[in-house]
Amino acid sequence: MVAGGLPHQLVPVLLHELGVPVPPHIFFTWVVMAILITMGILVQKRVSMVPGGLQNFFEVIIGGLEDFVVANIGEEGRKVFTILATLFIFIWFNNLMGLIPGCDASTANVNTNAAMAVVVFLYYNYWGIREHGFGYIKHFMGPILALAPLMFIIEVFSHLARPLSLTLRLFGNIRGEEIVLILLFSMAPIVATIPMYFLFGLAKTIQAFIFFMLTMIYLKGSLEHAH
Amino acid sequence: MFFQKGKQPSGTWGVILNATTIGLQLVTATFIGLATGYFLDKWLGTKPWLTLVMLILGVVAGFKSVYEEVKRIQEYERKDSGQHSGKD
Repeated sequence: MVAGGLPHQLVPVLLHELGVPVPPHIFFTWVVMAILITMGILVQKRVSMVPGGLQNFFEVIIGGLEDFVVANIGEEGRKVFTILATLFIFIWFNNLMGLIPGCDASTANVNTNAAMAVVVFLYYNYWGIREHGFGYIKHFMGPILALAPLMFIIEVFSHLARPLSLTLRLFGNIRGEEIVLILLFSMAPIVATIPMYFLFGLAKTIQAFIFFMLTMIYLKGSLEHAH
Repeated sequence: MFFQKGKQPSGTWGVILNATTIGLQLVTATFIGLATGYFLDKWLGTKPWLTLVMLILGVVAGFKSVYEEVKRIQEYERKDSGQHSGKD
């Protein structure tokens, strides 16, 4: 397994002993999916005009994200808002799983992040082709026609760099935080880790937001006309 | 905290966001260029040449995306300061 999680999880090891060989990051992805689906069903069952606890929470997050997306992309942003909000909430919950003792952030594994980055890459190119048809190639040509073949290679490189940098940024940050937590815990249990929990709780939210925001910028680039 | 309308996240976290974006774009584009050149060389048997050319093009691509990123940040800052002083 490439860059697996840190060896401190209980449940995947137990599952492995029982003869269900699930890698830890897959297992914790499933846990987050189960949590999110359950929360979705709970909220959807009791939608009311005066929002209660859980509905309030989701309305604040989704309403805030929607305002942000529409303000940045424009009204067209509503077409791609669902995948953006899903990415943010999914990555956020995955990151926060790393703060629960005995659990692990599945985003601390290259494979999860690479999968999401490839999905983002294919998705924004899909929207570009869908919106502009064959004219999408103008996005890669640059302003001067004589330099177009050179610009094409350069643009392809910078587009291919996007999924790689998305993957590495999220992986590096979350993995680094996990390692710091483990090291601090081994040096001075509880006392040293509690202040770090507040810092990392914020940092993990920021990382989820960065992934979301970069996806939004890429989608904006493929939705608008070539300059 | 993050979700002001039409703005980027501001303050320390906004700067961190922009800094990580710019740095990683530069590195990954260079790396993609190098890898493309290396494998094209292996495939076509033109040992050092394509690696060198593609590496340089990758560096150029990295600087180009840094340039675009800086332009985007400048545009946001212009918009922000325009809002404060009441003109566009």
